[in-house]
Amino acid sequence: MESDNEIGTEGDRTDAEARSALQVAGAERTNELAQAYEELKRAQAELQRRWQYLAEAQRLSHSGTFGWKVSSGELVWSDETYRILGFARETNPTLDLVFDRIHPDDRERMQQLRDRAAQNGMDLNVEHRILLPDGTVKYLQAVAHAGRDSFGNLEYMGVVTDMTDRKRADEERQALSRKLEESNARLEESQRVAHLGYWIWNLDTNRVVFSNETCRIYGINQQEDPIDLEAIRELIHPEDRGYVFENAERSVRDKVPIETEHRLIRPSGEIRIVYSRGALTKDAAGRPYEMFGTCQDITERKLSEQALRRSQFYLSEGERLAHIGSWASSDLGISLSEDLGLYWSDEVYKIFGLAPEKGPPRLEQFLAAIHPQDRASMAEAIKTMHEQRCGCDVTKRIVRPDGEIRYVRCVGIPVVEDGVFQGFRGTTIDVTAQELLTQELRREQAYLAEAQSLAHIGSWASNLETGEVHHRSDETARLHGFDPKEGLIPLERYFDTLHPDDKADVRSAIEDAVREGVDYDIQGFRICRADDGQIRFLRTVGHRNPAGESGEYFGVTMDITELKRAEEERERLRQLEADIAHINRVNMMGELAAALAHEIKQPIAAAITSASACLRWLGHVPPDVERACAAAARIEQEGNRAADIINSLRSFYKTGTPAERQWVDVKGTVREMSALLRTEAARYSVTIRTEFEVDPPHILVDRVQLQQVLMNLMLNAIEAMKDIGGELTIRSHVNPEGHLTVSINDTGVGLPAEGADLIFDPFHTTKPQGTGMGLTITRSIVESYGGRVWATANQGAGATFHFTLPTGAEAHA
Amino acid sequence: MKPVAVPTVFIVDDDSGMRQAVQDLVESVGLRAESFSTGEEFLKRQRTTDPGCLVLDVRLPQMSGLDFQRQLTEIGVQIPIIFITAHGDIPMSVRALKSGAVEFLTKPFRDQDLLDAIQQALQRDRAAREQQAEISALHARYEALTAREREVMALVVSDMLNKHIAAKIGASEATVKIHRGHVMEKMQAGSLIELVRMADKLKLSSNK
Repeated sequence: MESDNEIGTEGDRTDAEARSALQVAGAERTNELAQAYEELKRAQAELQRRWQYLAEAQRLSHSGTFGWKVSSGELVWSDETYRILGFARETNPTLDLVFDRIHPDDRERMQQLRDRAAQNGMDLNVEHRILLPDGTVKYLQAVAHAGRDSFGNLEYMGVVTDMTDRKRADEERQALSRKLEESNARLEESQRVAHLGYWIWNLDTNRVVFSNETCRIYGINQQEDPIDLEAIRELIHPEDRGYVFENAERSVRDKVPIETEHRLIRPSGEIRIVYSRGALTKDAAGRPYEMFGTCQDITERKLSEQALRRSQFYLSEGERLAHIGSWASSDLGISLSEDLGLYWSDEVYKIFGLAPEKGPPRLEQFLAAIHPQDRASMAEAIKTMHEQRCGCDVTKRIVRPDGEIRYVRCVGIPVVEDGVFQGFRGTTIDVTAQELLTQELRREQAYLAEAQSLAHIGSWASNLETGEVHHRSDETARLHGFDPKEGLIPLERYFDTLHPDDKADVRSAIEDAVREGVDYDIQGFRICRADDGQIRFLRTVGHRNPAGESGEYFGVTMDITELKRAEEERERLRQLEADIAHINRVNMMGELAAALAHEIKQPIAAAITSASACLRWLGHVPPDVERACAAAARIEQEGNRAADIINSLRSFYKTGTPAERQWVDVKGTVREMSALLRTEAARYSVTIRTEFEVDPPHILVDRVQLQQVLMNLMLNAIEAMKDIGGELTIRSHVNPEGHLTVSINDTGVGLPAEGADLIFDPFHTTKPQGTGMGLTITRSIVESYGGRVWATANQGAGATFHFTLPTGAEAHA
Repeated sequence: MKPVAVPTVFIVDDDSGMRQAVQDLVESVGLRAESFSTGEEFLKRQRTTDPGCLVLDVRLPQMSGLDFQRQLTEIGVQIPIIFITAHGDIPMSVRALKSGAVEFLTKPFRDQDLLDAIQQALQRDRAAREQQAEISALHARYEALTAREREVMALVVSDMLNKHIAAKIGASEATVKIHRGHVMEKMQAGSLIELVRMADKLKLSSNK
């Protein structure tokens, strides 16, 4: 534009010079006229050409020139000025015309400016609008310089420029720039929303520019200056750091785009997953100098992907674990075609043992998979489903290709949408385990009923306040003499069977328990059976149902008649055993009779002999009184001895004497028994030896019972040696548990080869005259003190019987 | 051997009361008595050849009285035994008596029964001792005979006539008569019958 103006002014100057040169030539060198004329023509041509240039230039630059003689009001316009102002070339330009064109809003301002200019001849530079007849608005700039013509009149010469295009371009540029700003802002916002940022990696400086969003993604403050690459490396998850930078380096080396997914650790410690892409920017020489890339935070997406994968996994895993598959079949129309239009989930294939690749089976194939015994009913069920469009719930057996039989429950429902039947949806469940359990349960119920009937135990559940019966097993009814088939039997009728003597007690016991809400256990009451009137003993146990309302009880009732009888029998046997124990003692006395006779005869014989001697001494002349007295003293001594022996034995004859605990010196008792049995032992050439610990502890027992134990075991030992003689050794020690252990060792025939474990059993005997109760009684006595008795075979000949008794205060029955 | 030795009643009983009573009773009739609790103790006394008798309890702790009786026989102690027992039975008494017991008394016994038995036993002991003494004297006389005289004596007591004896020993009948006279004289036999009895006691076996 400027250069155009220069051209314009240069054109004006050339014009003036040419004119003056022409005047000089006309006045001074007429001869040169022709030449000059030529030159003039050339100049004219040149001028013409320049005018054209000028006009062209004006046109191109939308600038027209004008001249304004203020005094005359004469206006001169260039072509372009006409064009700009929208006047025909023929129009005679006037100021009025110009002001007509000026936009009404600018008109007043322009008139003032004109008036001022006309007065003081100042330079003008003004922008204004014109309004063309077609309504077009043009922006013009008028620049004019005031000057004086050769007559000294004020005249203006200027340029008017159509600024409309420029103005519009400006406006457009401004709008564009606004738009750019907006779109930048939107981009920024969308980056933020999309968690997408960008980065620019300067390969020369190895520094990186992060967009705001990138900074946010990395959890760092917005950075004005490029960041050192090393600082970024620190933010990347250590496990990912290696491959991220390897990829980046490879990308630069091989000049290929980069695409990575990696984790980063924000300064706050939070881990984010980002997806980053980058491409190289190359200079004109093709040398990459930076890499531009985007960075997107895909953490949420990743997590939701994971969650989705997990829930899909859970679903399929759930199906797999629960052996539940799902299926669907399309609308099959009225007729049952071969193609069931099935969809099967993987689990259904698994349940049927079929390969999913082969697709769902056709009806024929499906029925072939059903157990032959269930096939017809299944076919019927499918037919019914399709004919009546009803649901199904079928449990059937299937035979897998490998021959395994599974129980499968198939539930299907018709799907109707907007009144239109859409097909069936359903589940297929492998219920083999449940089915087997159910069968097992049924069996067990049967067993239980059988067991209840065998054990005469019935179970029941009732509300004992309202009398409502929730449950009673068949056996409960039977126990009271009711027919189990009778159905509901009111609680009152059970009470009616109570024996008149027990009725009040049982009722009040139950009522008391119910009132206090506690469990009860009523044993051994009598009832008269409803059917045969037999008197039976029952026991009933009621447990309050803590989850139920008040009065809710469940429990068992059992027939304990046999138990009762057995108890009586046991009591009778116990009495018998006690009697036998007594008999044993008496028998023992019998066995001992000879020995005891000897034992008692000994002092008696000695006394009699001493008496004879005494008499003889007295019969001497003179009587030998001294020796007679000595003899008499011996008589007294022997008499006492006999009495002692009888006293120590008398206790054996007593029956039913309650055990009288006292501290007993075992050593002393063993000595007594050894003394008592010594002659009996000697009769069979058996010697009795005792080996005691220095001080065996005293024990709290009934003395007679200890004697009985010792005598039984010692007599047995002597018995075992009676044909061969031998040695009976009694030892004692305290075992690690603090029990006193007494061992009676013989060198006799030993334990029987067979039935050695039976020797303690009642009525087990190897002796022709034995009752077989000796060792049984021994054991019951020892065990009543918490002790133990057992027999062992000796290394050499014979056997050893041991018994233990608790020592000290721990002894208790 | 002291012919004047006073006989002793030995008592073996493990029951000290009985032992003392019996000893006292025996002493009350003026006899000597010694008592022991076991047979072994008695044997330790060494002078078991003293005259006397043994009152023995059948049931003794280590060795029964009957076994002890057998043991005494085996070691050559010949002493009359009276068994006493508190618990005797017939088989036991038979066995005891067969083995040479003087008496088998059951406790309690009458004092006189025991004392009688003791007297009897002492009597038997005395007799046995006298017999033993006689045999010892005969042996001494017999030892004094010459070999030819013992030969002749054996033939004489076998009731052989002098001439047959002479023929048998290759001597004259007169020589036989002389030997026979020496025999009768040395053996202090008053008659042929007496000589025969002596030969019996000496247990000479006739050489027929």
